[in-house]
Amino acid sequence: MKSPLLHTLALAATLLTPAVMTAQVDRTKAPPAGPAPEVHLGEHKSFLLDNGMRVIIVENHKIPIVTAQVRFDIPPIMQGDIAGYQDLVGELLTSGTARHSKEQIDELVDGLGAQLAGSNDGIYASSLKRNFTQVMDLLYEVVSSANFPNDEFEKAKTRMMSQIGARADDPDQIASVVGHALTFGKNYPHGEVTTEATMGKADRDDVYQYYRYFFQPKQGYLVLVGDITAKEGEAMAKKYFGTWKGAEVPVTKDEQGHDVVKDLGPIIPAGAQPRLPKDVRVAFVDRPGSAQSVIKVLFPVDLKPNDPMATQAQVLNTILGGGVFNARLMQNLREDKGYTYGAYSSLDADRWCGSFSAGCSVRNDVTDSAAVQIMDEITKIRTSPVTADELSLAKNNMAGSFARALEDPRTVARFALNTYLNDLPEDHYETYLKRLDKVTVADVQKAAERFMHPDSATILVVGDKEQVAEKLKPLSTIGRVFLYDVNGDIVREDRTEGATPAPAGMTAQVVMDAYIKAIGGKAVEKVKDLKKEYTTKVQGMDATMTEYNKVPNKYAMEMKMGEMLLQKLVFDGERGKVSGMGGEKELIDTDLDEVRGSAYAFPELHYAEMEQVAKLMGIVDIDGAKAYRLNVKTLAGGQFDEYYDTTSGLKIRKKEFQSQEGAGGFQVITDYADYAPEGGVLFPHTLKQKGGMDMTLTATKISVNQGIADSVFSVE
Amino acid sequence: MASITAVAQTRDIQFSEFDLPNGLHVILHEDHSTPIVAVGVMYHVGSKDEARDRRGFAHFFEHLLFEGSDNIGRGEYAKYVEKAGGVLNANTTGDRTYYYEVLPSNQLDLGLWLESERMMHAKVEDKGIETQREVVKEERRQRYENQPYGSILPEVLKRAYTEHPYQWPTIGYMEDLNAATEKDYKNFYKTFYVPNNAVLVLAGDFDPKKATTDLKKYFEGIPKGGEIARNKVVEPSMKGEVRDTVFDKIQLPAVVQAYRIPALGTSDFYAVDMLNRLLSNGNSSRLVKNVKDAEQKAVFVGSFSLPFEDPGLAIAFAVANMGVAPDSLEASMDRQFAAVRDEPVPETELEKLKVQIETEHATDNSRVAGIANNLANAYTFLGGTDKVNTEVQQYLAVTAADLQRVARKYFVPENRVVLYYLPMNQKK
Repeated sequence: MKSPLLHTLALAATLLTPAVMTAQVDRTKAPPAGPAPEVHLGEHKSFLLDNGMRVIIVENHKIPIVTAQVRFDIPPIMQGDIAGYQDLVGELLTSGTARHSKEQIDELVDGLGAQLAGSNDGIYASSLKRNFTQVMDLLYEVVSSANFPNDEFEKAKTRMMSQIGARADDPDQIASVVGHALTFGKNYPHGEVTTEATMGKADRDDVYQYYRYFFQPKQGYLVLVGDITAKEGEAMAKKYFGTWKGAEVPVTKDEQGHDVVKDLGPIIPAGAQPRLPKDVRVAFVDRPGSAQSVIKVLFPVDLKPNDPMATQAQVLNTILGGGVFNARLMQNLREDKGYTYGAYSSLDADRWCGSFSAGCSVRNDVTDSAAVQIMDEITKIRTSPVTADELSLAKNNMAGSFARALEDPRTVARFALNTYLNDLPEDHYETYLKRLDKVTVADVQKAAERFMHPDSATILVVGDKEQVAEKLKPLSTIGRVFLYDVNGDIVREDRTEGATPAPAGMTAQVVMDAYIKAIGGKAVEKVKDLKKEYTTKVQGMDATMTEYNKVPNKYAMEMKMGEMLLQKLVFDGERGKVSGMGGEKELIDTDLDEVRGSAYAFPELHYAEMEQVAKLMGIVDIDGAKAYRLNVKTLAGGQFDEYYDTTSGLKIRKKEFQSQEGAGGFQVITDYADYAPEGGVLFPHTLKQKGGMDMTLTATKISVNQGIADSVFSVE
Repeated sequence: MASITAVAQTRDIQFSEFDLPNGLHVILHEDHSTPIVAVGVMYHVGSKDEARDRRGFAHFFEHLLFEGSDNIGRGEYAKYVEKAGGVLNANTTGDRTYYYEVLPSNQLDLGLWLESERMMHAKVEDKGIETQREVVKEERRQRYENQPYGSILPEVLKRAYTEHPYQWPTIGYMEDLNAATEKDYKNFYKTFYVPNNAVLVLAGDFDPKKATTDLKKYFEGIPKGGEIARNKVVEPSMKGEVRDTVFDKIQLPAVVQAYRIPALGTSDFYAVDMLNRLLSNGNSSRLVKNVKDAEQKAVFVGSFSLPFEDPGLAIAFAVANMGVAPDSLEASMDRQFAAVRDEPVPETELEKLKVQIETEHATDNSRVAGIANNLANAYTFLGGTDKVNTEVQQYLAVTAADLQRVARKYFVPENRVVLYYLPMNQKK
């Protein structure tokens, strides 16, 4: 029986004006195709300059635009403890020459309506034909005499540091960075991770010498495309790059025979190809409060662009998840299950080490199911032949894509360039369609057997650990989920959760009494007011934090950068207010409760009064020390954990959960260290906070009973 | 004068156009340089046509219209195109929904059949509706909720507009989509997905005579729809600056300023758009040069027009460099807006903008997919398909006096929404 909910929209449409009489057409099936059109690659001109630089020219007069690409064939090298410096090459390339400052270059480029963009292996320019000579002039000037001014370097580096610091915000970026580290290993150029620490160590000379050493004519290509004749192009190439020599870079050799470049160090090429993982590992990067999990299944692949099976590999990937809507991953994870907006795979050929990646972004509660489906699809395509239908759709689609790409004249130029760079047969692209046509179901299966490794893979998930990680354990061969941070470093398991029971007779009260005794006993009760001044860094810049307490429970906190107020909080015992960059706001409801709960200088003395219930959970291990873990529940319904060293009695850690509406919350861990006496009481002089924003606070001055005016806590 | 020679060098897009008796407008552009053809249909319906309790419907509907027709089963639509060696996609904005394929030129009829099936008798099954609901939910999560600064557009729109439907984002809200019924689908389809509310564009390698015959075969039989009663809402002027804070999972604060601007196609719109280019196009632009480079307040800064059919917005957005507070960043941006209000733009800078426009115009019309989109857009929103060639004149006609005038009229605090995006742990 027809479902009553079956929607036929035509019903409404046919009730309107009657149809016009037209030639009959059979709508019940797709119309047949006409005869297949011929696909012409188009020509290019290629020649060598005397200095070894190769020039490729493609003429196309459809639009009055000319583009120029300079590309240097630079092998991947280890960046080591200055990882990230290569990412600055492109920007610095256009930041100044002997003749022009960055500002002047920017004015020139924009004044010509042009694009000029450097990268770590070359530069790209484009403009209207009538401005192109001037653009070429500037392009040559930049390639041959960029001088990487130090002040521009420092500015670019600072911006880059900001962006590296912000990596933790972006789940796709985390997945990419950590994904590469896990696929190739961090000791392979493709897998090296740029961190704030490594970028911080990079200096101008590293970047400058890299450019001088690698931007050399003998490994250079100049590609001219567009509204330019072959003759014009040749004249231009010879005029500008014909006599270009490249920088003379002093080089010595190290024991391994590597070039050592002055100021940059040894040029260490990619070593042995990374090996497959020995089984299926699950790696998790925690991003608390994530609305989705980003899933990637990863492994390295031995596939070079000139591999005889390269085309079959592409067909295999197209069928699995390579961009067609009918690919297996898309049909399964989106159209069948509705888990995701889009699921894809990529099988990348690379001259040094290829790679495979398959994944999607899904809502948290189906993360494990989605990962299972992805692994299943990779396994299925390896173990059973694809259908003839799938094969023909993939091949047709790749052929169509090839033809469509030829609309852009730069495609043919790219083909020519790739032929040289990837050491491809000269007719590689001319014979592509024929080669593609010949691919069979058996070929695809052979490619799957060679390139798909569902038993030796890393499943990487970036998402909310609390909600998702546990359920991924069954996907791992050894039943474990390894935690990683956003820099691809493994995170030591938080062993503060699995507590061993405390000895009989120990209670939360006993622990808290021991703590008060350890920090000063009677002297603690004599503290009437307290001012604690700290220094810290906020986003890399020096800042100060000052806390004020006054009996009974007045509290204020101020965070400043120089004279600029970042944030201020005051609580007068009843009302509270927070002010700073976002304006000013009176605290109400849970926000007010939370401040009230932490307004005492020594909260442990006041839990009963605040109706907070502390419970001893057991003994845990924190960085080698044993600590009692107390769980404290607040009246407002929140909770936090406090940890007291079993030997010294001192409080060494507090763990709180800060919640936010809508977008989840996050955990903040504060470690207390370097207790020293002030006014007869021991105070921690180093506070390390992790989660939310990572910060270390160092106490510079703690003043006990020096008198603090009530106005400091005023909410008006 | 430089600008006159500039005009002479832009190459016009040649096209022919006509109407079918059922109201469908047809535009044809021949280009035999590559054996491909783009087929596009632009329906003049977008999120501003939604009922207030069906926010997101137009975009959701776009998803549903790939689910099949009376003659095309679920999942078959994309299969036909991909098997033929083509690509397909669609997108929805506040004002229109656009569907297109790019096919090998011997498959033009396939494109005509598919688009005519969609227009004539699209069909959706339960499984399709349920699946696409989940897919749209994931799209919302992926694009807006799980991205740093992902919520900027919805947060800006809901404060910038109080009456007009632009106040809600095209992706809409799940509770409204969950509440949609069969009647809603039928009504929406019969009202908006009709030939008299659409334009069909063919751009590429085809024979115009044969193409015309074929498209008539597929489209002429589709009945004309009724007159569409548009609920025209005029958004009142802002009653002064609106400021607010949004907390997000970010490390670097950001400043968003949204200014109310005139509608697409008006002469002031072109001046405003030129002003945005002055501010943010290229490294020598006012915001990039000063806020990012000289003062080092931002890792990113830009200002962009949102071209809407009814009065839209210009959005200036900057992400703070390390150690920079949002009010300091905002002050730096405001100085640049003040500079354009207070001092006329020098001729050399204006000439720079013009050559940028001319370059863009040339590259925008280099591929058939882009050309098809531009033709449909010109017809639907700019008052005539010929605008695809003449619009560039309106840009080139903007003077320094115009720039100063629109800066003073629109880029002022009373006419804007300002949002500070702050890291979550600064909430307390």
